[in-house]
Amino acid sequence: MSGQLIASIADGVVLAAILAVAAMGFTLQFSLTNVLNLSFGSVMTVGAFVAYLIAVVHLTPWLGIALGGVAGAVTTVVLGRGVLRLYARRRTQLFEMMMVTLGLSLIIDYTVQAISHNNIYGYSVLQGSALSMGPIRVTPVQVGIVILALVVLLATWGSLKFTRMGKALRATAVEPGLARACGIPTGRVVLVTWVASGFLCGLAGVVFVISTQSVDYTTGEGFLPLVIAAAILGGVGNLWGAVGASLVMGIVTEVVAGLGQGGYSTVAGFAILVVVLLLRPGAVFGGSEDRQLVL
Amino acid sequence: MSAWSFYIGTLLIYFAVDALSAISLNLQFGYAGVVNFGYIVFQAAGAYAAAVVVLGKSAGPGSFQQYVFGAHLPFPLDLVVATLAGALLSLAVGLFSLRRMRRDYQAAMLLIVSLIALQVVSADVPLFNGANGLTGVGWPLGQIFGLSAPASPWVYAAWAVGIAIVVYVGVVWLSRSPWGRSLRAMRDHEDAASAMGLNITALRLQVFVIGGAIAGLSGGLLVEYIGAWSPGAWGYAETFVVFTAIFVGGVGNYKGVLLGTLLVPIIFLELPRFLPSIGYPGLTDSLQWVAIGLAWMLCLLFRPRGIIPERRARAKRLAATMLEPSPIKEGA
Repeated sequence: MSGQLIASIADGVVLAAILAVAAMGFTLQFSLTNVLNLSFGSVMTVGAFVAYLIAVVHLTPWLGIALGGVAGAVTTVVLGRGVLRLYARRRTQLFEMMMVTLGLSLIIDYTVQAISHNNIYGYSVLQGSALSMGPIRVTPVQVGIVILALVVLLATWGSLKFTRMGKALRATAVEPGLARACGIPTGRVVLVTWVASGFLCGLAGVVFVISTQSVDYTTGEGFLPLVIAAAILGGVGNLWGAVGASLVMGIVTEVVAGLGQGGYSTVAGFAILVVVLLLRPGAVFGGSEDRQLVL
Repeated sequence: MSAWSFYIGTLLIYFAVDALSAISLNLQFGYAGVVNFGYIVFQAAGAYAAAVVVLGKSAGPGSFQQYVFGAHLPFPLDLVVATLAGALLSLAVGLFSLRRMRRDYQAAMLLIVSLIALQVVSADVPLFNGANGLTGVGWPLGQIFGLSAPASPWVYAAWAVGIAIVVYVGVVWLSRSPWGRSLRAMRDHEDAASAMGLNITALRLQVFVIGGAIAGLSGGLLVEYIGAWSPGAWGYAETFVVFTAIFVGGVGNYKGVLLGTLLVPIIFLELPRFLPSIGYPGLTDSLQWVAIGLAWMLCLLFRPRGIIPERRARAKRLAATMLEPSPIKEGA
């Protein structure tokens, strides 16, 4: 039993690593722009499909990972700069903007469905034989995913903390008007945010399908609830919080799945958010209503 | 019975069901400002509930389909059960998701509920037969008259439209009542409404449960006619068909909502049947959804309040007459 538990926890850490990459992108984007971006999952799907296409033409999967991230970044910039700005110019408010992203999500998902003929495609790259350490069985690629997540965390944290752009980004997230008044080029900051969060989004899509070994048009949409829940649970804009929340949700999800309740595993992960919400609503939903869109 | 007569009758039933959905979602969203992105779940709850009380006892695992609590209830009772199921589920969901929080968080939360409910029902086979869904649901109304469903959609259409009219009148009456006014007050300025002594959380929960009950009823009506229900019928995107109908027609305006229901779910989704099919089978379906998404986005861009927007002039006129200085009588 305890061996089973430890194995589930190890699986949970792998899931958490994937979740953390996505949640970091989401929390970064959300804290700066204040758009609750429901098309985030669709962009993950786009990244995943790009990686799949790279595998189809027999190029190295590493290129797939990189180009999946780039595809995510490009898509996000196009959506953010092209579409969302168009709506912002027409004085679309915070809440309506979320509806806009939802429409985008519908369009992207079903365009992908149309192109992919509504099929599920197998995607197995970089798979190696499992290594056993006591009860834990991990494949090299799973270890690789966890390392990748750590690298992403350190890189994101480092650039937020130590670079000028990171400092500008944090300032803009807290007080966009004041940041602009101080001469920070907020437009460029927003662009950098779209690129960085889009890259993380596409990357998360690729590592997710590497882990599940299949890709279809619902890939990102199915994963999105966990991403939003982790980002909100960790406190919006809080990088370490997002990673911590990802760990909790990943482990709980896999432990419940390990108990033989596969159908309810995602529910369990989400239940944490609900419980925290019920016990301490202020901790999770402390954000004020009067936040402005920054696009 | 020509094919056309059958087709029109069926469309009429769909219109009644879609109108019920749009009316109740408009009560929640247009009047109360509750953004129920999980709407379809409550319709699904009604449909499943109606199905299991019509199907009779489940034969258990290993049989052709399995589900919880089978029963044979006589005719109108299955719709009562469907309505109750919608109401109870929305009470349960509402208790945790309607707390005071940012509107976009709340909407995202309900969307998450919708996605997760779908996963659970698909994965948990003993509940409602998993991804294959329930089928062979009889036609309780027709059995009374000794009719079979395909032969006489008109009887059922009359019944469904009748229910839709009753609900329409009821909901319009509710919206104009003082309770409806307090809903609008809550939507337009929550803090002010709260300061006037309205219990925001209770109001939200009330409108959520009433809407959920109507959703359950519409699900029950639908499943009685089509005879089957599965997770394929209630993907998260279905909620947005109803939302698009409201946006196209007019948020907060019931006549507009009916127009939107006619335009979006009926004409928009039925018209492609008459167009020559393109590409591989299934391509048209995908493109239909893309078109729904486009319609949704264009509406948000150009006509965020719909074709027939909510009438707001009356209150203004009333205020104007009250503020008008009374004419000074001369020579008195």
